[in-house]
Amino acid sequence: MRLQELLRRSGAPSALWRTLLRPSPTSRRGLFSGSPTHWNQVVSEAEKIVGYPTSFMSLRCLLSDELSNIAMQVRKLVGTRHPLLNTARPGLFIGYCASFPHSPLVYGGGILLLLGRGALPFHRNSSSLLVTKDDDFLLLCFSQRSLAEITELIHTAFLVHRGIVNLSELNSSDGPLKDMRFGNKIAILSGDFLLASACTGLAQLQNTKVVELVSSALIDLVQGIYCENSTSAEENCITDDIGISTWKEQIFLSHSALLAKSCQAAMELAKHDTEVQDMAFQYGKHMSMSHKINSDLQPFIRGKCNGSIAFNLNSAPVVLHQEFLGRETWIKQIREAQEKGTLNYSKLQEAILAGKGVTSAIDLCRYHGNKALEALECFPPSEARSALENIVYAVTRFP
Amino acid sequence: MASLGWRWRRCCAWRAASGTPGLGALRGSPDGRGWPVPARPAAGFQCQMPNFNLVRCLLSFPNKHSISRFHHTTRAVGCYSKTQSGEKYTDPFKLGRRDLTDLYEDIKKELLVSTTELKEMCEYYFDGRGKAFRPIVVVLMARACNVHHNNCRDMQASQRSIALIAEMIHTASLVHDDIIDDASSRRGKHTVNQIWGEKKAVLAGDFILSAASVALARIGNTTIVSVLTQVIEDLVRGEFLQLGSKENENERFAHYIEKTFKKTASLLANSCKAVSILGCPDPVVHEIAYQYGKNIGIAFQLIDDVLDFTSCTDQLGKPTAADLKLGLATGPVLFACQQFPEMNAMIMRRFNLPGDVERAQQYVLQSDGVQQTTYLAQQYCHKAIREISKLRPSPERDALIQLTEIVLTREK
Repeated sequence: MRLQELLRRSGAPSALWRTLLRPSPTSRRGLFSGSPTHWNQVVSEAEKIVGYPTSFMSLRCLLSDELSNIAMQVRKLVGTRHPLLNTARPGLFIGYCASFPHSPLVYGGGILLLLGRGALPFHRNSSSLLVTKDDDFLLLCFSQRSLAEITELIHTAFLVHRGIVNLSELNSSDGPLKDMRFGNKIAILSGDFLLASACTGLAQLQNTKVVELVSSALIDLVQGIYCENSTSAEENCITDDIGISTWKEQIFLSHSALLAKSCQAAMELAKHDTEVQDMAFQYGKHMSMSHKINSDLQPFIRGKCNGSIAFNLNSAPVVLHQEFLGRETWIKQIREAQEKGTLNYSKLQEAILAGKGVTSAIDLCRYHGNKALEALECFPPSEARSALENIVYAVTRFP
Repeated sequence: MASLGWRWRRCCAWRAASGTPGLGALRGSPDGRGWPVPARPAAGFQCQMPNFNLVRCLLSFPNKHSISRFHHTTRAVGCYSKTQSGEKYTDPFKLGRRDLTDLYEDIKKELLVSTTELKEMCEYYFDGRGKAFRPIVVVLMARACNVHHNNCRDMQASQRSIALIAEMIHTASLVHDDIIDDASSRRGKHTVNQIWGEKKAVLAGDFILSAASVALARIGNTTIVSVLTQVIEDLVRGEFLQLGSKENENERFAHYIEKTFKKTASLLANSCKAVSILGCPDPVVHEIAYQYGKNIGIAFQLIDDVLDFTSCTDQLGKPTAADLKLGLATGPVLFACQQFPEMNAMIMRRFNLPGDVERAQQYVLQSDGVQQTTYLAQQYCHKAIREISKLRPSPERDALIQLTEIVLTREK
């Protein structure tokens, strides 16, 4: 009975997914410009193993009245300066997801499925066979797939909620207040809609431990985003005095907790014991940490020739750089790079490149990559496990 | 007539699972028990808007002068509580609060936050100044169901958690609603978005919702999780319904009632259902609890919409005519529009021309929109009483009956 329902819900043939969600070849390159082909290769191998395209927002959600309503409302925002437009392309809200399909967080769904696959044979061959019937096996595949969708829904919901602006801080260049107010309204509604869809999906999994895990990841995510917002609010360049350990705590909340806890939940769905669950958690945590550091490093690795890139002052290499220099010297460096109130990023970048921040960020990235690989050792060798390993290799590779 | 009835029923069938759809709730007193059936309105009045007038027929709107908000309620209560041990009704709020002494403290314990500012924002509305209407209904329902089931005088910890969760979900939705409506005051103080800005306020709402979700999962019952998740879905869908407006007047009314159910009544209906599931295995009781919550919830919101016209800012803790200013046509407006068709144009343009809000307000006060909305609320309360009276008598059951009267007569 439940299996049938799940089959019905899972709906769309994957060809439809591909047309709906495949990004254009150019947008694929976005995140991993250093080695696009390599990353894409890893992803397409993974897709072959799990049998789906690896980014999927639930179709029932995409085709719902509410979403077409949102799409219609978003269209009204075209021409305004509301940041929601940067995340939701006019008229094609779905395209939002498609525009960053392979950031490991959005890609989280695929990772969960791979973990599911990686853990299954091991499970089936073990002496305590918990999943015996084929029906149960299918049911498990569907619930893990559903969990993957939920993870993506939550991730997207928060990206949308991050796009809300403070009405009192607007200035005339932002355009009419009315538009911004309307943009906020749509951003809240669409984010809430995605969250509500995630909650409904979670409830359907019929496992309160999973609900608790994923909900607690939501709590982490809110706190992480909150910290991130308050640090990046200091537009004028004075970063918080945080060391790398505080930085890691914050990044865990805002970037890793969702994936780590979802990986753990995928194991819980498969009735694995706490030890296996913990390994899955560790993989999700360290892999996403290593990915975050990798993307933080990008401006410093490939940006040397290209003068005008702004980078996040709260990124791993910068935080490490500050830690090496000491707070006072760092602030002095920032002051030196400031010209008439604006920061000259290339000047600051040179200063950072001269220090040890970048190399130790690379080391940190590799450290987390190794931790992720270690966690995978508890799973028996399989195609899925190698795909998960390849993901780690892709995020720890530097030219 | 039959087909119209069907259409109306379709409009009101909010949830396939919810059993008797809205028609029953609207149809006065079919079995003749209880309250007096008022006189029908003049005949010529009924022909133009079929569905709308169907509602009117069903409701048998009385002459506006004969309405007092509570003329009937005491009689209804009297009628159903004959079997009572003669115990005098205590104040339902007092009775409910016995189980909710540390309500807000316990909610704060669920909101474990490291960041002090985020904590302050999340706790902002849990200051004890709210009516705690929802938790009170929930704990009274829990006890009423427990008594009904096996005369048990205790309440389970999980049932009390539902009360907390209901208040948390409600608060999370308030925080987000206030940003959506760009509201500046609530419960007599500034809104979260007013103080901390929209960017942070939205996260506070998300946080409270997540904490509620964790608390819900910890109860460890998958049915309960599903029942309360329905609330979250309904809240969002209700908000979407509020975005659109219907051109056709009949649809407009059904749309309004549906929105009211989703935005307000679903929380009461489903949290009542949840505590009944925890307290008693009988599905009949679950349906009674659900129907009570749904009907009192709709009545609660109808009165809220009335108060938006009749109350003053001081009493309400938020500005009046707020709905009109947001472009929303609530019950009193929809009824007034029957008497003043010129309001149609205003409804369609969402009162966005200068002077619209004031004129609409005048029309509503000149019409009997307020009385008719109140009357509709009475009908929902009657239905709620009829449902809850099916339970075995207990002080809590009677408090729930009495609560319907408080809903109708409240001034803020």
